[in-house]
Amino acid sequence: MIARIASLVVKEFIHLRRDWWLPAFMLLGGALELLLIGWATSRPITNLPLMVYDQDQSAASRALIVSLENTGTFDLLRQAPNLDAIQAAMERGEINAALVIPPDFSAQILSQGGRPALPVMLNGAESVSARAALQAVEGVAGALNERIVVRRLGIDEEAFRGFTPGLRVWFNENLKESYYTTPAELGLMLEFTVLLFAALSFSRERELGTLEQLLVMPFSSLEIIIGKSIPVILIGFFDFLLMLGMVHFVFDVPVRGSLALLLVLALGYLMVELGKGLVISVVSRTQHQAFLLVMMIGMTDFMFTGYAAPVESMPRAIQLLANLVPAHHWLNILRGVMLKGAGLDVLWPSLLALAVLGVLIGGFSLAFVRRALN
Amino acid sequence: MSLRRIRAVARKEIHHIFRDRSTLFLVLFTPTLLLLLMAYALTVDLQDIPIAVLDLDRSEASRRFAAQITAGNDLTLYAQVESPAEIEALLVRGEIKAALIIHPNFSADLLALRGIPLQIIIDGTEPESGGFAVQHVGRRAEAFVTESLAGQLQAAGVPPEALQAVDLRVRTWYNPSLKPRNDLIPGLLSMILGFPALSVALTLAHEREHGTMEQLMATPIGRWELLLGKMVPYILVGLINTIVIPLLAMAWFRIPFNGSFPLFFGLSAIFLFAILSMGIIIGVFMRTQAAALALSFLLIFFPGFFLTGIFFPIAAMPEIVRLESLFLPGTHYAIITRGIFLPGIGLDVLWPYAVMLFFLGLVFTGVAALFFRKKLA
Repeated sequence: MIARIASLVVKEFIHLRRDWWLPAFMLLGGALELLLIGWATSRPITNLPLMVYDQDQSAASRALIVSLENTGTFDLLRQAPNLDAIQAAMERGEINAALVIPPDFSAQILSQGGRPALPVMLNGAESVSARAALQAVEGVAGALNERIVVRRLGIDEEAFRGFTPGLRVWFNENLKESYYTTPAELGLMLEFTVLLFAALSFSRERELGTLEQLLVMPFSSLEIIIGKSIPVILIGFFDFLLMLGMVHFVFDVPVRGSLALLLVLALGYLMVELGKGLVISVVSRTQHQAFLLVMMIGMTDFMFTGYAAPVESMPRAIQLLANLVPAHHWLNILRGVMLKGAGLDVLWPSLLALAVLGVLIGGFSLAFVRRALN
Repeated sequence: MSLRRIRAVARKEIHHIFRDRSTLFLVLFTPTLLLLLMAYALTVDLQDIPIAVLDLDRSEASRRFAAQITAGNDLTLYAQVESPAEIEALLVRGEIKAALIIHPNFSADLLALRGIPLQIIIDGTEPESGGFAVQHVGRRAEAFVTESLAGQLQAAGVPPEALQAVDLRVRTWYNPSLKPRNDLIPGLLSMILGFPALSVALTLAHEREHGTMEQLMATPIGRWELLLGKMVPYILVGLINTIVIPLLAMAWFRIPFNGSFPLFFGLSAIFLFAILSMGIIIGVFMRTQAAALALSFLLIFFPGFFLTGIFFPIAAMPEIVRLESLFLPGTHYAIITRGIFLPGIGLDVLWPYAVMLFFLGLVFTGVAALFFRKKLA
């Protein structure tokens, strides 16, 4: 049996060598894409174009503008001559935020009970940038407020600890963006690679009419399935190693837990995705269909990796659905081992969920694919 | 170039799509399904973030404060803990995203104006929820300080608003409640409507893989006619979705649409031309569907999602990636869709992006046609 499976695996690799584009993409494409996307998106939000309409033109207003620039979030596009200029620039999408400093700004600061007004306009057509801008503006305004209050109330500056609560960030002390973007991006690339590769395995042979040939040969359906699976797992695992190395060495994301545990669990996760891919593969009559299904399923899974929105904030029904998504548990494990240094004692619920899903999907897939092949 | 021959190729392609009901269904409805998926799961408002509270003060004031923090549905009290070790365990297991520690002497420090005796701990692996918790706690704490000190300040003859000296008046234009859905859905239209580009790449590679390309080229059909004919059915599918998807977004998800619909329709047609041309290039270069598929994901799908400024602002990307994003039709189209949906701007502002899209389309189709001849020769 092993000899027969081996000959099937050899056959698969001969196919791959003949069409060398495909294995090249499968092996290196995901990793290169991760490099590009990780490089582009794992950085703080900076350089948001800002316009300031400074009606005060005082030392205080200039200091305020400097402290806004010092947050790094903004790039002062130019001073606005009037409100209409702000409106026009905002409409054209040239700026993400605008600040108006009223003529009495410094006078209000210096007076005993004055309230310096600070109108800020945000461009809601780009909500991600708008939220970053809001945070920066609130920080600068808060610091200014604190200085004024301390002076006015004669608070003892030595004992004063500030009006903002102390903050500590765990598992990512310096709040490096790559720590939370790249693991999810790795998960996405890995899932698409394995799912796509597995989904094409039978649909391709069926479309090209070579599946019948394979079936009349003296292989059992189990042998055919194993023979088809081995290259997928090999390439998927190699791809994972490559991307893990990249995330660690290029993006400086640590592996705080056990690397061996991570590798074993990665292999397990790949088997679950393989099972899904094989089911797609036998229900699809053409590669086009297989592709459309991979697309739908892959995108659905990506929604539950916590990349764009935390699962906790989703509607209740969708949260329950998230438990059925292997990638959701896999990302828990990946983040847990890499960033939190978690071991099995902590990760066992995710592992158990993944195992149950694996048995269900794998069992279904095996039965389904065997029936389809027979 | 003859219209009749383009039509013949288009009819053949439509026939292929219609022959298989499940492919037809998938091609027509995948964009709708993608919209539903992305709208429900990707663009949620942050809420119900689970946090733990460690109250070291155990005073009436600290209890009142803790209750105020978790009132409403922004933060959910997951556990009231007794020690920092418990916080650590909950954070490691991912059961909470943030924790609030109320220092001893909370009310005494507060009343003596020694600052806010609070510490927030957040999970840095998913800082979005943590950052949200920080913002929320900060705002509530400010209000709490003002409220607690009101009596004391009044007695000293200082108005209670003295603690809020700076009057920050934030106004968000075009999307007043800053709902992510309102700008992400229009932005994601480039992914949703541009989706047929991958199908185009596949069908060209399909002809190659099955050896029917030679047959086609033996007929009097020219290469431009073939490429345009292949594009037509998917442009039609795209145009249908250009009407259906925005209607769905407006009716079901209440996304505002403030611009001109004919303008949106027209510019979407140009976008479809550009993005489908990208698919054509891939289809022309690859000999098998599998390879075409993999390359489409790498060149169209993932960059379209990550590098077109929908989620991460282009202004913050490195120079080279910013340059690359100019060659992605989605970058220009996202500006167009967000502009038409939210501020409702017109062609006077949007024409450079439309020109750029058209230019990209021409370049891509030109390159494809050029290489197409070489490949077959």
